[in-house]
Amino acid sequence: MKLSDNRKELSVDWLTVTIWALLVFAGWLNIYAASIDLKMEETSIFDFSLSYGKQFIWILIALVIAFVIMILDTKLLEFLSIPLYIITLISCVAVLFLGREINGARAWFQIGSFGIQPSEFMKITTAMTLATYISRLNFNMENIWHRLICFMIIFVPAGIVLLQNDTGSALVFIAFSLVLFREGLPLIYLLAPTYFGLLALLALIVNEYVLIFCVLALVISSWFFVFKKKLWLAHIGVILISALAVFGTDLVINKVLEPHQRERIYALFNPNSDPLGNGWNITQSKIAIGSGGVFGKGYLKGTQTKFDFVPEQDTDFIFCTIGEEHGWVGSILLLGVWFFLFRRIIYLAEHSKSKYARIYGYGVFSVLFFHLTVNVGMTIGLLPVIGIPLPFFSYGGSSLFAFTILLFLLLNHYTYRVNILSS
Amino acid sequence: MNDKLKFRGTILLWFAGIVMSVYGLRLFYLQVVSDDFAISADKNVLKKNVIQPSRGIVYDRNRKIYVTNSPIYDLVIVPKDLYIPDTSIFQEFINLSPQQVRDRITSAKKYSPRKASIFEKQIDANLYAGLQEKLWECEGITTVVRNTRQYRYSAGGSFLGYISEVTKRDIEKSSGYYSQGDLMGASGIERYYEELLRGRKGVKTVMVDVHGREVGAFAEGKYDTLPEKGKDIIIGIDADLQAFGEQLMQKKRGSIVAIEPSSGEILAFVSAPTYDPNLLSGRDLPNQWRNLQNDKMLPLFNRPLMATYPPGSVFKLLNAMTALSEGTITPGTLYGCSRGFARNGGKPGCHQHPSPTNVTTAIQHSCNAYFAGIFVDFLNNSKYKNVQDAYEKWYTYMRLFGAGRKLGVDIPNEKPGNIPTKDYFNKVYGKNRWKGMTVVSLSIGQGEVTMTPLQMANSVCAIANRGYYIQPHFLKNVLDEDIEKDKYLNFDTVQIPIDRGIFDLVAEAMEKVVTAGTASQARVDSIVICGKTGTAQNPGGADHSVFIAFAPKDNPKIAIAVIVENSGWGNSWAAPITALMIEKYLKGRITDQNKLNRILEADLLNVKPTPKKK
Repeated sequence: MKLSDNRKELSVDWLTVTIWALLVFAGWLNIYAASIDLKMEETSIFDFSLSYGKQFIWILIALVIAFVIMILDTKLLEFLSIPLYIITLISCVAVLFLGREINGARAWFQIGSFGIQPSEFMKITTAMTLATYISRLNFNMENIWHRLICFMIIFVPAGIVLLQNDTGSALVFIAFSLVLFREGLPLIYLLAPTYFGLLALLALIVNEYVLIFCVLALVISSWFFVFKKKLWLAHIGVILISALAVFGTDLVINKVLEPHQRERIYALFNPNSDPLGNGWNITQSKIAIGSGGVFGKGYLKGTQTKFDFVPEQDTDFIFCTIGEEHGWVGSILLLGVWFFLFRRIIYLAEHSKSKYARIYGYGVFSVLFFHLTVNVGMTIGLLPVIGIPLPFFSYGGSSLFAFTILLFLLLNHYTYRVNILSS
Repeated sequence: MNDKLKFRGTILLWFAGIVMSVYGLRLFYLQVVSDDFAISADKNVLKKNVIQPSRGIVYDRNRKIYVTNSPIYDLVIVPKDLYIPDTSIFQEFINLSPQQVRDRITSAKKYSPRKASIFEKQIDANLYAGLQEKLWECEGITTVVRNTRQYRYSAGGSFLGYISEVTKRDIEKSSGYYSQGDLMGASGIERYYEELLRGRKGVKTVMVDVHGREVGAFAEGKYDTLPEKGKDIIIGIDADLQAFGEQLMQKKRGSIVAIEPSSGEILAFVSAPTYDPNLLSGRDLPNQWRNLQNDKMLPLFNRPLMATYPPGSVFKLLNAMTALSEGTITPGTLYGCSRGFARNGGKPGCHQHPSPTNVTTAIQHSCNAYFAGIFVDFLNNSKYKNVQDAYEKWYTYMRLFGAGRKLGVDIPNEKPGNIPTKDYFNKVYGKNRWKGMTVVSLSIGQGEVTMTPLQMANSVCAIANRGYYIQPHFLKNVLDEDIEKDKYLNFDTVQIPIDRGIFDLVAEAMEKVVTAGTASQARVDSIVICGKTGTAQNPGGADHSVFIAFAPKDNPKIAIAVIVENSGWGNSWAAPITALMIEKYLKGRITDQNKLNRILEADLLNVKPTPKKK
């Protein structure tokens, strides 16, 4: 089918575009707020030698990218999903050997002064490939092999990113299991790892033997009160997994994790134990947000973020600036906008005519949701410090481009659907 | 399509909603419920720079500046910005070798390379002037000016006190006023009137970044306060008289306390040996203080206030007035003297003088037998139920004269002296097992009774005023309109319920002591001085020479007590010193230069005990 560009533009989902623009613009203002130094002379927000000036250029480029994405033919994109997946996968491997190391992670290609992080784009191609595979006519979620291939599509790139020593980005791939859940993966696949993870976390703060005793007590009491009969296999499975979680944690924490990762996990539970060391980020971040009060200190009036008390304040800890300068009201407003965006994405996904678009839509939701949850959760001291950016907000060209592509590909599909309906 | 799975999309949205609600609640806790974070944020970013006020000036009674401020300089370095082309410049002026300079820079760096640390404290103005010429080529060194005390008269350390850095306890007790490094009065008037003299600190709040660098004023200085200068005060001391008194007491141990009877203002307050109060001002304070503290002569011991002496014959006046007031004797009552108190086997002994005596001649000749007699007869008088009852009455009189209790003078560490209670004797001798004769030594101011020089001078005030005294004090006025004068300038007047006639009689007798009695050395041309010698027996060494007096007899301007330790009779040293002090104060000059020279030259620190004589 052939579409005129004119009609396509008219049917764009302007609501989502508006939210995108809002987030990007607000992000830029906050990067400015986080970076300026009150001691310096008045500086222009367009000073291109500084982060906020650069971000302005990235935003302009992102606009162009968004426009280009919107005029691409969706069929072509579906067709290119797997080749692009393979290309990004190869890049991710290549970066292990050719990349530049930043903050201990070898995840960046350096091209001139601009760095590209292939793992950012890996998320997009993974979402596309997952959509391509699941939308195949003969795909059946009941089939254990099909499930296995789904997992491979997700966790092969995750594993490679983990090798880059970029734990944060690798964890993002876990989010795709939400897509599988939507497409019929049994709940146990989500619950079991969650149970395992929670138990492992508990093992850090509660005595191992007390914990395992509690598990046993729960399982045995379930014989009498819940199931009324003995499901031997299931129960023994639960107990074994629990034991693995409880006793394995100690082993993993002390033998497998790097010391800095271990410290970060401990710092989460007790930031005051080492307030100037590993607890510093969490403590200062909470102080900055907490000092904002109900209405905040006002734009450009934040003291904690301005005077460098909060580390990484224009990238991973950008949420502190909002918390400090705009208070609880501003923070809630931002979370509200995000929730609205999620609703919109799920709406677009559910109302697309093609299965590919729907699955891709949930992929977009999963990635954005994971980023938001982990990023904000970290700044407010609910999750360990895992360095991943706040989408559209954090300073950085690579991530802004990747998230823009991720979102606008979905918009393109939705536009395509509207065109089908109206033609 | 598998629409039967569509609900799972809704579940995911719900899930997102729940996560965000949890975050919203967490944010509510952080930002709205708890203020810990706001407080921590202020701690992070706000630094209070204190501006010290200048301390109040102290004037003497003639409005001469007594204590003032002089600038001292602290050198402060910021290691990161430091550039010293020649580290030897400090050697000459503040005696720091290049090695010490390097050590101090290293330790400052260790504290913080970006924050200012103190490099050298309290450099006085002269040294700083020299050093300043060399400092211009250095970078990263700034000077902080502070005020230290300067004492214009090198006299009066014992009551002026000194100022020093606050201790941890001072900080805790001050409920937030003091902080480390502040100076506060450590003793004397400086301590007692600290709140008046210190003024109020100003605060300038600045913001600092994560490295502790100052990055600007907070809220455009809206919360900044200016320092408020300390209050200037006038004290009753006559600075010239004080200096003169310290001169007279050089090479001697003892005290001079002079009070203006009509006001209770202390005119002179000499503690000998003394020290120059300027020693305890400025950068050498800790060393100087240690030297004074270790000095065997005890210059820091505040004798007028803390040394308690048996008052000796001075006490006889109080006993005479008590007996006259209670009617156990009359002015005409006679007692015989046989070079001692015959009824007690000649104890206490006495010296050769006309006998028998009435109260006037007994005072004039300081007859021990007379005073032992009236005291014993007082205690055994049938007017009272028993000895204890009589003693209780006597005790009440002594307290009224200000003996045996703190007078509440306005500097710290006053000692009460001792007038033993009847319970004390009951404990020592057993109840009802003691009589007048048992405690006969009290009659002549020996035994258990002790008084401080301040109390002696104060009791003279009561006689000079013929019946009352005003709590002795230093503060004369506060030079500030707004201050509550009542809070600081309200001193008690103590009335003594004894007939004026009795005081006149005693004053008359005291005049005779000087003109025709034991105190020939106390005479001064054209001034009518009323005095009383005392020779306080001192078991450890030579007797203390004591003299009390007031002058002129009518409308007295000065009441005085002089004690020269271990120097012998009252007439030999204490009396002439008293005379010189009175003449200096009333006439402003000394007529008898020989008398003055004799006193100035006398070294009475090592007098051998002489045979006892009364």
